[in-house]
Amino acid sequence: MELWRSRFGIPSEAFEGYAFHRRGHNVWISSSAEPPDLRYETIGVRFMSTKGKVWKPTTSALQLFGGRATKNAIDLDPDQAKMFLAGESQNLDADLENGYVVVSYRGMVLGCGLYSRGELVSQLPKERRIMSDKIENGSFKGDR
Amino acid sequence: MVHLERYRDIVPDFESFVESIHRPLPVTVRINTLKTDRDDLLRRLSEEGVRYRFVYWNPLCLRIDLEKPGNLIECLMGYLHVQEEISMVSAVVLDPRPGESVLDLCAAPGSKTTQISQMMENRGSVVANEPAVNRIPSLRSNCERLGAMNVAVTRYDGRLFPRHRFDRVLIDAPCTGQGMARKDPSVLSRWCLKRSLGIQRLQQSLLRRGVELTRPGGTIVYSTCTFAPEENEAVVSTVLDRVWVETVSVPGLKNMPGLTRWDSDYGDELEGCARTGPLFTLRQEASSDYGDELEGCARYYPHQNDTGGFFVAKLIKK
Ligand SMILES: C[S@@+](CC[C@H](N)C(=O)[O-])C[C@H]1O[C@@H](n2cnc3c(N)ncnc32)[C@H](O)[C@@H]1O
Repeated sequence: MELWRSRFGIPSEAFEGYAFHRRGHNVWISSSAEPPDLRYETIGVRFMSTKGKVWKPTTSALQLFGGRATKNAIDLDPDQAKMFLAGESQNLDADLENGYVVVSYRGMVLGCGLYSRGELVSQLPKERRIMSDKIENGSFKGDR
Repeated sequence: MVHLERYRDIVPDFESFVESIHRPLPVTVRINTLKTDRDDLLRRLSEEGVRYRFVYWNPLCLRIDLEKPGNLIECLMGYLHVQEEISMVSAVVLDPRPGESVLDLCAAPGSKTTQISQMMENRGSVVANEPAVNRIPSLRSNCERLGAMNVAVTRYDGRLFPRHRFDRVLIDAPCTGQGMARKDPSVLSRWCLKRSLGIQRLQQSLLRRGVELTRPGGTIVYSTCTFAPEENEAVVSTVLDRVWVETVSVPGLKNMPGLTRWDSDYGDELEGCARTGPLFTLRQEASSDYGDELEGCARYYPHQNDTGGFFVAKLIKK
C-alpha cells in the first residue's frame, strides 16, 4: 500500500475494508469479507505483480483505484490513447517520474504504463489491447 | 423448422415464434455499475454518437446499434459488458443482496457471476464455480475487466461441490441451447431428443446439489436457454420435495407459465437419433406430469420480447 501512496498519492484509506493475499509472484485484492472455506483457483482481482525489482500494479487494479492518483498519472489525447490501447510505445514529454504510471483518456483509466526517459510503454495485457482500426465508435472523433 | 414443430401446442402465436427465430438478435449490453454509473455512461455514449435504446424491464440493459460493441472502448474498460438481454433475467430473479453469500455453480464465462457481483455492490461473497479448465480464463478475465472483487473462483464438478450453506445458489445449467437459435441457427439442426435426455441427468444432479447447498429459506434459481421441457420442468420436478416454487414474474417482460404436463410422441422423435442405450425404455414415459407447482416457472419465447429463448425457475428451500 505504501507504494500506492508514495508513487501515486493514493491514500491508504482507499483500500480500507479490502483483503489482500499473496500467492506466487502476485498480490490479490478481494472485497469479500470471508469467502467460505473451499479450495480456490483465485480470490478477487490481481492487484500487483511482485516479480520484478519494482512491484508492478496491474491494469485491473489501476482501473479500479488509479482514478484517485494525484501524481505519476497522465491523461492522453486521442492519438496517444490509440497508440497506448494498441500496446505500442511512444515518445511523450510529460511531468512523470520514471517507473509505472496511471494512464487515462477522457477521465477513464486505461491502465498501466511504464515511463522512462521520455518514452511511454503500454503495459496493457494482450487481451485488453485493441488496434485503432477496430475501435467501434466515435470516442476518438476530433480533439476533445 | 422441423425441430420446433414439437412446441406448436405450447407456444402462443406459433407462426410468429418460428418467424422470429430467423431474425437476428438485438445486440445488447449491460452497464457495469461496479465501474461506472448509468448517467455517466449514457452521457459518454451520446457524446460519441453511439445509438442505443432502453428496454422496459431493466434500466441497466441497452440495445445498442452496433454490430461489435465488444470493440467499444467502454467495453474494453469494463464499463459495459456484452450480454444477451434475456440471460440477464436469471440474476434479477435470484435477487442477491449486498453482504450475502452466493454460489454460481456453472459460472463460465461469468456474465451472470459479474451481474450478481454488481447487484451485491461488491459486498459479501460470490463463489463462481466452473469445472472446465479451458473456460476458467474467460471467467477470470471477465471478473477482472469488470472489477468484480467479491468473486472467488473454484473448479469443482458441480455435482460434487463440497458441503456449505449459501444464501442463494444459481444453477445456469449446460443445455442444448435451442433458445440461442437467433444467434446460431445450427443449434436447431443439431438438436435431437436424445441430446436433451442425455444432458437431463447432469442437470438434475446439478440442481439437486444446488438445493443441498442452500440454507433453509434460501433461494435457488435454475435456468437454461432451451425450450425442451425435458431439460426444464422435468428437471425442476425432481426436487419438489425439498423446495417451494415461487412464481417468476418480471415486470415489463412477457413470459408463459411453466408446463404442468407434456405429451410427446417419443417414438417419432427418437427417429434420427441413434437408437441405443436406455432411451428405448422411454416410450412409456411419453406423457409426463410435472405437477401444478411448475406453473410458477417462466418460459421466455423470442417473439414475445424480441430476445433469445429462456427458462427460469425460482425455488425456496424448505
Ligand atoms: C450455460 S453455461 C453458463 C453460462 C454462465 N452462467 C454465464 O452467464 O456466463 C454452462 C456452464 O456449465 C459448465 N458445466 C458443465 N458441466 C458442469 C458440471 N458438472 N458442474 C458445473 N458446471 C458444469 C459448462 O462448462 C458451462 O461453462
